[in-house]
Amino acid sequence: MTTSSAISRSPFLNYTKTIEDENLALLYLRRDIQIPIILNAQDRDDEGYHEGKVANTRFGSFPHSTLIGVRWGSQIRASTVDTGSRGRGKRNQKRKLEDEAQDSDVTKVPVRADSGFAHLIPPTPENWTTSLPHRTQVVYTHDSSYILQRLRARPGTIIIEAGAGSGSFTHAACRAVYGHGGKVLSFEFHQPRYEKLQAELQAHKLDDLVELRHRDVCQDGFEGSDHKANAVFLDLPAPWLALKHLTRPGPLARDKAVRICTFSPCIEQVQRTVGDMRNLGWVDIEMVEITARRFEVRRDRVGHQEEGLKGVNSNAASVDEAVSRLAEIQKRMIHGDDEERVTKQCRLAKIKEAQTGRKLHIEGYLTHRSEIEAKLHTSYLVFAILPMEWSEDDEVKAQNQVIPDPKKEKGKKQIRRELRAKDEANGNAE
Amino acid sequence: MDELIRSGSYVALQLPSELLKVVEIQPNITISLGKFGAFQTNNLIGRPFHVTYEIVDKPSRDGGSNLRPVPAAELHELGIGDTTTPDEAVIGNDGVDFEVVDTEGKVVMRTNQFINEDGANQILTLEDIEALKKADNSAGKDVIAKILESHTSLDKKTAFSLAKYTLRKSRKYMKRFTVLPIDVPVIVKWVMDGKDAPRIMEMREETLSLVTSWSNVHWGGAHGNESCNGLGQTDHNRWLVVDEISGLLVAAMAEQMGILHSRPRDSMSLSEDVLRNVAATEINGISESHEESGRTKESDPIRIQQARIHRQELFMSGTTNTITLVHQNAQPNLSLLTYFGYNTSDPDMNHPLYTNLKEISFLQLLHPEEDYGYLEPAESTPEQLKEMKSRQKSAYYRKRRRWQRTKAIVEETRAGGFAGLAVASAMTPASILHTLVPLLRGGAQIVVYSPTVEPLTEIVDCYSKARRSAFALAENPVVPCEEYPVDPRLLIGVSLHTARSRPWQVLPGRTHPKMSGRGGSEGYVFVGTKVYPAEGTIEARGFRKRRKLDVSTNGTQHGSPALQSELPHTESQSEVDMEVDKEVVSLIDNAQSTVGD
Ligand SMILES: C[S@@+](CC[C@H](N)C(=O)[O-])C[C@H]1O[C@@H](n2cnc3c(N)ncnc32)[C@H](O)[C@@H]1O
Repeated sequence: MTTSSAISRSPFLNYTKTIEDENLALLYLRRDIQIPIILNAQDRDDEGYHEGKVANTRFGSFPHSTLIGVRWGSQIRASTVDTGSRGRGKRNQKRKLEDEAQDSDVTKVPVRADSGFAHLIPPTPENWTTSLPHRTQVVYTHDSSYILQRLRARPGTIIIEAGAGSGSFTHAACRAVYGHGGKVLSFEFHQPRYEKLQAELQAHKLDDLVELRHRDVCQDGFEGSDHKANAVFLDLPAPWLALKHLTRPGPLARDKAVRICTFSPCIEQVQRTVGDMRNLGWVDIEMVEITARRFEVRRDRVGHQEEGLKGVNSNAASVDEAVSRLAEIQKRMIHGDDEERVTKQCRLAKIKEAQTGRKLHIEGYLTHRSEIEAKLHTSYLVFAILPMEWSEDDEVKAQNQVIPDPKKEKGKKQIRRELRAKDEANGNAE
Repeated sequence: MDELIRSGSYVALQLPSELLKVVEIQPNITISLGKFGAFQTNNLIGRPFHVTYEIVDKPSRDGGSNLRPVPAAELHELGIGDTTTPDEAVIGNDGVDFEVVDTEGKVVMRTNQFINEDGANQILTLEDIEALKKADNSAGKDVIAKILESHTSLDKKTAFSLAKYTLRKSRKYMKRFTVLPIDVPVIVKWVMDGKDAPRIMEMREETLSLVTSWSNVHWGGAHGNESCNGLGQTDHNRWLVVDEISGLLVAAMAEQMGILHSRPRDSMSLSEDVLRNVAATEINGISESHEESGRTKESDPIRIQQARIHRQELFMSGTTNTITLVHQNAQPNLSLLTYFGYNTSDPDMNHPLYTNLKEISFLQLLHPEEDYGYLEPAESTPEQLKEMKSRQKSAYYRKRRRWQRTKAIVEETRAGGFAGLAVASAMTPASILHTLVPLLRGGAQIVVYSPTVEPLTEIVDCYSKARRSAFALAENPVVPCEEYPVDPRLLIGVSLHTARSRPWQVLPGRTHPKMSGRGGSEGYVFVGTKVYPAEGTIEARGFRKRRKLDVSTNGTQHGSPALQSELPHTESQSEVDMEVDKEVVSLIDNAQSTVGD
């Protein structure tokens, strides 16, 4: 066992029972609005709110003091924060300085607002992927999950990743390899991106799991780590230029099979990559494409009883309903009796009235449809394997190995049975 | 996982047809692959995985190998054919075969226009081919060559379709196989291709990866020494699983947690009691490995006794990185775990699952007092014990230990605090979530797999916004009831996903998606996050306030009048603001259509 004795302090990998200062958390407002915040009890940037550090959203304001120390997953009420006259750091710089003497150390106890809430949830690679600051194209969950599974990334895997980009894949890879000595060896040649990701990994306390290097891997390869990789993920424009650096001896583990995945949007990139992989001795080369969909589930309500209501279809729900409405109109035309005529207003009022008694949340057809933004293509995924190195010497050794005799294997069970019998014969006590 | 083929383990043999065959590599035996030939296991044991072998001969008596490792270059030759790729290839009308034209568009190579693919071109009869195969000792290559030679219209074939033809024939006659290690994706492929798909509810490889990712399952560190590393108390990494796919889900979760493939036991994941015993037995020079090697034979009875305590108490005793399997029958079906060296009817105590997989039935969980195993067996007095025959006595102890174990598991499971829940079951999702979600800690992920979408649309709907609003306004709603099968406030981020992989053929000039794949179930995954609702009523911003406002003030403003004048509109916020506005509006819509103004 190598590093498993240490527990990662990353909120992605282990979280404490309550939310602690300086940790990353997600303020969940809606499925597509999850705001990552680093909790900050001290208000180190001194943004000038009476309540200390505050997370402002249209769902309300949340002073960090109302977030720190609560259970993960808690629903948090918004607070009434004076966001107008203070805050907005720079604008109020002057006033802040003036006020400094009076209230710098006195933090106001937040006052609960009468509406607005958020849930505070721990970060996961999935919610991070949808909420992270995009600096590049990122790898999304349906791709990264499949890639990591095919790369057999699991506790103990040493995975090379280039380029790191916005770190979406990096986070998913961390979770997969954490434990039993697993590591992510990551490369990014764009200086600002490299620096931002390095800072992020530190803030997320993943820096002991990721070795991030600032390097052009196509030119300078992957060397430099004490760890030898058995998985590789290349998300670069020209992965074939990097392939030649994946060598033994070199960055790849000698005594392990190595799995690789390259991720390219164009078929021409795939063809070059695959051709070069063949020449470099990779086998089991396979290319796949993943299409994923997320569904919207809702209840579709149809019928005359929906008239005037929103988000529904107020056409006739059935032939019967259509016929009776038609007949009603015809009757009027035939008999011309205006007295019995139900005005539209009347009808709508009736419907409104009836609505209070209805259980709309369980009415209608239960339906599902793909969400409007469909990702039709992300990239082509090329997979391949480089079997472990096996020399003639190794083969000779293997040929001369003594293979345990199955009879002896049986012997083991025999021994156990004997043991048990002996044990019982001796009479045991707890 | 081991990198070398181990005696006594299972491996998968990938045949030229790409089908898998799972075999147990017992030493000193011959494995027959039917028409492909046979080989001796000793020639594989101790060798690396992912090597493709060619069976070049009959297995020899003296144990010499009849297997030739095929170099990568030779493997690639097969599909590529003549790599002097013409400049341009145009896809023919049938979308399969190719026509080669020059830059002016003139056809420079014959197409398959004049070729009949009805078998009449093949002048070797089936019997001829069989005879050839029998006489052949060149691992099928001669057969292929003969077949190609006798193909009368071969000279009419284009280089492309020739390569395709060779590939097709090779799949049939090449005496090759590749040895793959057993892991979860390989098992999925094997079960799905082998017409056994219902056994795993048609779980596709790509769907399984969605399940494990969204569940957030991972190794949780070893908690043995957390008090000394200066950390606050972190929750232990315990997972709840409902698995009606023969143990595949358990295996997948275990693989991601690092407890599926045997490796030296991590003592940190064991409870203190057990550790004390382990320590005691180790001090006394006995550990199970000694027992295995037979050394305990000559040890004294006390030592043997300790070894036994060790073995029995280890069983299901893990405290972190554990899986608690909740099952509907008296015994769960975990048959697929056998291929990972874990046989539930005779579990190997050196396997990580021995300590870290716990089992509990729904009855034990919900009504333990109605479960026989939970009832305390009568305790015997020391005098009674003395009277007992050794057989009775050991039966007595076994019973007591089993009861203690059941009791411990029932109690710790009911105490909750689980890190996540993964479900692959034919039971109504709502009934499972109603029962198990309360056992999860805040922020835990919930995933439910279903081969079909309907059960999952139902459960998504149980957590819909409309349902939550109605629940908030309902007077003392009782859960579960028809209207509220689950407490809709306990999950957020509820979503429904599917993924599908599409394999391609990538060959020079012949790159296209594969022509056929598996139909059947699409496979869907429900995802949610466990949360704790705040006490008392709580309103979304803009909810009731809007209703009190004059209708003419419209949705782009903030719901709370008190805040309207004060909220700044700075650039940094505007993006969020825009989106949040939509939410405000939709909440109002929601309020209107649900409550009715
Ligand atoms: C599409 S982005 C990667 C996104 C990343 N996988 C994620 O999920 O966030 C590609 C990155 O590769 C980097 N890159 C391109 N060529 C590189 C090279 N030769 N060496 C190192 N990094 C490179 C780019 O700077 C860019 O940040």
